[in-house]
Amino acid sequence: MPPTPTTVSSQKIDSVTVAVVFGGPSPEHDVSILTGLQVARTLVGAGRQVFGLYWSKTGEWFRVPATLEAADFLDGVPRKAEPVRLVVGPEGGFAQAGGRLGRAKDIELDVAVNCCHGGPGEDGSLQAAFDLAGIRYSGPGVASAALGLDKLAFAGVVAEAGLPLLPRRLLSPTITDLGFPGPYIVKPRFGGSSLGIDLVEDITTAVHRLEANPHLRRGAVVEPYRPDLFDLNIAVRVWPALSLSAIEKPFKSTASAEILNYTDKYVGGEGMASAPRELPAVLGQTLATALRSAAAELARLTSVRGVARIDFLSDGEAWFVNEVNTVPGSLARYLWVDPPVTFIELLDALIDEALSSPTWRPNATGADGTVLRSAGGIAAKLG
Amino acid sequence: MTAWRAAVVAAGAVAALLAGVRWLRVAQREHYLPGSVFRFGLRWWGRDPGNGAAALVALAGLALTWKWPPAGLATAVVVAAGPPGLGLRGRTSPLAWTRRVGTLAAVSFALVVVALVLAVLTGVGPVVAAGVALAVPLLIDLSLVITGPFERAVARTHVDKARRRLARVGPTVVAITGSYGKTSTKGYLAHLVAGSRTVVASPASFNNRAGLARAVNENLAEGTQVFVAEMGTYGPGEIADLCSWLPPDIAVITAIGPVHLERFGSEDRIVAAKAEILEKAQTVVLNIDDRRLEVLADGAEEKGKKVRRVATLMPGDSADLCRGGVCVRDDLDGLTLFIDGTEVARLAAGPRAGNVASAVAVALELGIPVAEIVSRVGSLPAVPHRLESVSAEGGFLVLDDTYNANPAGARAALHALKRGGNESSRRVVVTPGMVELGPRQAEENSRFGRAVAEVADDLVVVGRTNRRALLAGARSPGEGAGLLGYEGRTSKGGPLHCVVVEHRPEAVAWVRDHLGAGDVVLYENDLPDHYP
Repeated sequence: MPPTPTTVSSQKIDSVTVAVVFGGPSPEHDVSILTGLQVARTLVGAGRQVFGLYWSKTGEWFRVPATLEAADFLDGVPRKAEPVRLVVGPEGGFAQAGGRLGRAKDIELDVAVNCCHGGPGEDGSLQAAFDLAGIRYSGPGVASAALGLDKLAFAGVVAEAGLPLLPRRLLSPTITDLGFPGPYIVKPRFGGSSLGIDLVEDITTAVHRLEANPHLRRGAVVEPYRPDLFDLNIAVRVWPALSLSAIEKPFKSTASAEILNYTDKYVGGEGMASAPRELPAVLGQTLATALRSAAAELARLTSVRGVARIDFLSDGEAWFVNEVNTVPGSLARYLWVDPPVTFIELLDALIDEALSSPTWRPNATGADGTVLRSAGGIAAKLG
Repeated sequence: MTAWRAAVVAAGAVAALLAGVRWLRVAQREHYLPGSVFRFGLRWWGRDPGNGAAALVALAGLALTWKWPPAGLATAVVVAAGPPGLGLRGRTSPLAWTRRVGTLAAVSFALVVVALVLAVLTGVGPVVAAGVALAVPLLIDLSLVITGPFERAVARTHVDKARRRLARVGPTVVAITGSYGKTSTKGYLAHLVAGSRTVVASPASFNNRAGLARAVNENLAEGTQVFVAEMGTYGPGEIADLCSWLPPDIAVITAIGPVHLERFGSEDRIVAAKAEILEKAQTVVLNIDDRRLEVLADGAEEKGKKVRRVATLMPGDSADLCRGGVCVRDDLDGLTLFIDGTEVARLAAGPRAGNVASAVAVALELGIPVAEIVSRVGSLPAVPHRLESVSAEGGFLVLDDTYNANPAGARAALHALKRGGNESSRRVVVTPGMVELGPRQAEENSRFGRAVAEVADDLVVVGRTNRRALLAGARSPGEGAGLLGYEGRTSKGGPLHCVVVEHRPEAVAWVRDHLGAGDVVLYENDLPDHYP
């Protein structure tokens, strides 16, 4: 068992102030609340200095106590929430709206633990804002998050690395031949959840869904539907060193469920952590080794930071890369059974990584005026 | 005597403080409506002879205090103890200490302090102290009036923000009102369009100005295409005010009934208040089962609005009888949906036909293809506590209709009770009766009691609010064909057995003790514990 880091980035861990960030204008807003509250509660239990930063469905920010329950969010923004603002720029960060005479008061925080799933927060946009605001945060940086949430771009990276994956094409309104037979699975091109996934018989229906399904408005990818395949998931992290979790085989809740759906994953209590599963999955040695080595390679290919969950499809022998979740539900805490890693160990490592390994290194060397001096007049450039 | 006078003033102050906690909770439960606290005060002190006697002691003490100050102590003690049955904290719904309650408490407290100080300075301390303690409900009502303008200003900032958000997101707004069926219709509509539009529906309890502003500010995310707003009203002008900043593109009135009659005065005024929702909408959906809504439909058409009429059909009716664009036939064992005279779908029993018809009509107006509607109408979501069936551990069936509070819904629930179970089932109704029916409350509850006697074996009356009316109806001899249209009593036989209990937990315990496999119990309405 790895030792719990007691110092992070030359600071004692219990002197680090942690903000747990959750919610967000995403279809997975509610799931994110569950992840965020689990993280916050675990940090409180370990005596860390922690508070919540709740991002509402309409994009407003609130500071909330770390000990809230899911039920406190049933009616929307909880009663004890204080409105705060995210300010970007060199003096940026979170600030509390001051009184009528006072100015905005800065909120002290050393690190933000990002628990936002699905939409902004897992797509690079929140990461960009945090970078510009000078906030250090856990989980993927801008590029890694954006890649993970773009199923088409991710497939390109996987294919280029020579790893196996099912054919995946952009579904365009004019497409008539995909090059592989139906039935098909239509998925939103952008989006981390199982929401909006459709199973269709033919291309005409697929194109029709493109118009009708609101989740596909930003584009869709289409893949062959293979009922013989099941999911296999593995979590990876690269801090303090590259490590892999046990392999999980999630179950479909009913025999009739064609694909592991949103309800299977999340409508079961505390989110992903209570979904039905086989863990560790009983697999052949060859398959397990292949998946572990592919997961390690994907961690490098997608610049994993924090904890990512890589999902594969397999029939027991053949296997395919399906997707990477760069901010997985419950931060994939339940997968770390062999070797066991407790949730607080996982979180302390995330915090340590966030403080020690910056996501953004703006660089202005080379902008030394040489170009400006030799430029002459702007009018001359236009002429 | 000076010591006595001081003691009475102090006792009065303490009693007023305790009464404040008690009646602030009632103010909160009654949506901060001025006058409601005093009304509940009268209800509680007059609940039964015991409470009435306590009130008389308090009043007598107050009267005697003029001549003999120590009598004020009696008043203070009675007020401090409160009307028997009304707890300080509340069992089902304790006081939630919100900013608004804080403001109200501060103003009420200030009123009490000012009154006491002035009284002591002018030498009438004891009598005023006793009087103030007794009059706390009135003082809280007065504070509600005083804080009214401030609260409206606070709400206005939220409304302004909501207005800006609506302008930026620009969804199609569907507004739904009605005496009943609002929440179900909203849920059905959201479900019907969710497959092809991004839709946000306002939460059930957020149907007034502050609630809808909050629903917009917290739920109307960027990219929302359809916003479904449930609009409730307690008086004329409220829906017009909502529509001034949340103007609907499509307006729906589901049904009219005597709900909140206490606050409206007459059903005609309810119709007028609900009709405010039609003013700004280009398209209106009306259920013409109600003659008054048919009149509104004709009027809206004359004003150049697009009108979609919906209606329900009785079992066995043919589609030719369908007078609306969308009709739903209640086949008892299921529903049949007709669009423009053509049968398009059949669905399982459960949802109310009129609500399904309204939701389908709006979906059509939103441009949802019939095929899409048909593919989703079979899986309409059940609304919690609206005639929801649950199997209990004891093997009996529970029909949970605890959110219903209107006579039409109560009758529908009795039909469901009749349908549930089999020939040998014991059928039980547990209810505190219906409230806010104004001058018709006793009559409606009595009718409900009579209807219960037609289909049930036992009636468990909870609390005292409607006890007398329910029992009177249940025990009155049946007259001809019953209210529910069944031939005579249809229960297992023998007269209806009536049980009275104070609180719902006792009723639940009674049901557990007396019901077994195959039996059915209907929980009809539930009242929070600030009702006697």
